[in-house]
Amino acid sequence: MNYKPDEGMLMAYLYGELTATEAEKVQSYLQQHPEELKKLQGLGELRTVISHIQDQEVIAPPIFMDDANVKPLWQSNYFKTVLSIAASLLLLMVAGKFLGTEISYSNGELAINFGGKKEPVKEIVQPSLTEEKVKEMIQNSLVNNNEVITANWTEDQKRLSQSIRQNLDQNSKKIDALMKGAADASQAQVRGFVASLQNENLKLMKDYFQLSTADQKKYTEGLLVDFSEYLKEQRRQDLMILQTRVNSIEKNTDQFKQETEQILASIISTPVGKTKNSY
Amino acid sequence: MAETLLDIAMMHSDSLIARAREGDKSAQGKLVQLWYKRIYNFSYKFFFDHDLAMEVSQKTFISMHKNLGGLQEIGRFKSWIYTIAVNYCREEARKRKSNRALSLDDLKPGEGEESYRWEESHHRRENPDRQLRHGELSDLLQQCLMELSVEQREVVIMKEYEGLKFREIAETLNVSENTVKSRMYYGLDGLKKILERRNITKETIGYEL
Repeated sequence: MNYKPDEGMLMAYLYGELTATEAEKVQSYLQQHPEELKKLQGLGELRTVISHIQDQEVIAPPIFMDDANVKPLWQSNYFKTVLSIAASLLLLMVAGKFLGTEISYSNGELAINFGGKKEPVKEIVQPSLTEEKVKEMIQNSLVNNNEVITANWTEDQKRLSQSIRQNLDQNSKKIDALMKGAADASQAQVRGFVASLQNENLKLMKDYFQLSTADQKKYTEGLLVDFSEYLKEQRRQDLMILQTRVNSIEKNTDQFKQETEQILASIISTPVGKTKNSY
Repeated sequence: MAETLLDIAMMHSDSLIARAREGDKSAQGKLVQLWYKRIYNFSYKFFFDHDLAMEVSQKTFISMHKNLGGLQEIGRFKSWIYTIAVNYCREEARKRKSNRALSLDDLKPGEGEESYRWEESHHRRENPDRQLRHGELSDLLQQCLMELSVEQREVVIMKEYEGLKFREIAETLNVSENTVKSRMYYGLDGLKKILERRNITKETIGYEL
């Protein structure tokens, strides 16, 4: 067991300030270490000895507490705080008064002015035209404008229709020529393409048949060779089996022959009258 | 340490502390009555000097009166008041260190007819001879305690005589619990050696008493 309580733990044990589990651990350690136990017991005895120091009897003298710590209201921290805030506000107000500060709020706009409010300078403009004159001028201007626009529009329309007609003629001619060219070209190309396709197909078929015939020939030869080898092997095995059977028959025949000879010999050598039942 | 009515009252003084914190003069007075003996005895064991113990006790309770409003958790009052006492003890110890011109009487008070111990002792009804021997032994052990370093001494006193838990001592001294336990271990070990040197053992004490 590697557990070793430190001095603090031993002190807590001595004064009963350990939990039950900790106390048990220390106790088991002390049981295993008698020298430590003896030391702790020595300290316990010391406690008994020093407990003989007596308490001194004493009567508490009257202690007069002055009320120095009872502060008047004007010396309390709360009052000082409030007073300092009030003084700051007053200072601001005085400064504002001397600087002519003016704070106004109108139409969602907060304005702080120093030295009085300045009104914006308004320019007075004398009317030089009457309402009728203006109306007449607008009317005239509109009429002129309409005339110019109408003339321009007619002219533009004419030019536009003429231009469209010319373009259409030119384009239809071009399209006809293109169509003709395309038709001629396509007939010759299709013929050429079909002929080349036929040639390619023929070539491919020829190659395929050639390759296919050669492969089939090779495969059939291989097959025949394999079959003949198989037959040879079969025949050899059959011969071996026959040989074995013949040998076996020969052996059996010899054995039979020997046994027959032995039986005959025994029959001959044994007299008929002396035969008795072994049972 | 047998629990007296005073100890029980100290352990259940939460409402008293709460009222004292709110500025209740009567509650503050009762707190002083409850804790004075403990703080005095802590300081006395620290200095082995009645006058210094009285001075530290008074300073502690004046400080308590001034600063109790700032106490965040009532449950920490115990460690809080011992912190104040420890700080004053250390301050006085520093002053004493710088001013070595102390008479022997200052170091060993309470011997003579003027002794407050004779006047205030609660063992008055015991056999005077036995009482005297008890007093002598107490002083002898107190002298041994004075041989410990300040750090070890304050921990040993708080644990052994004031019955604080290691956690409370750690809070009081603002150090880790392990440091407190370590100081306690070496304090007891040191004290054991001092007593052995002076041939004070359980057996010799039993014989003497």
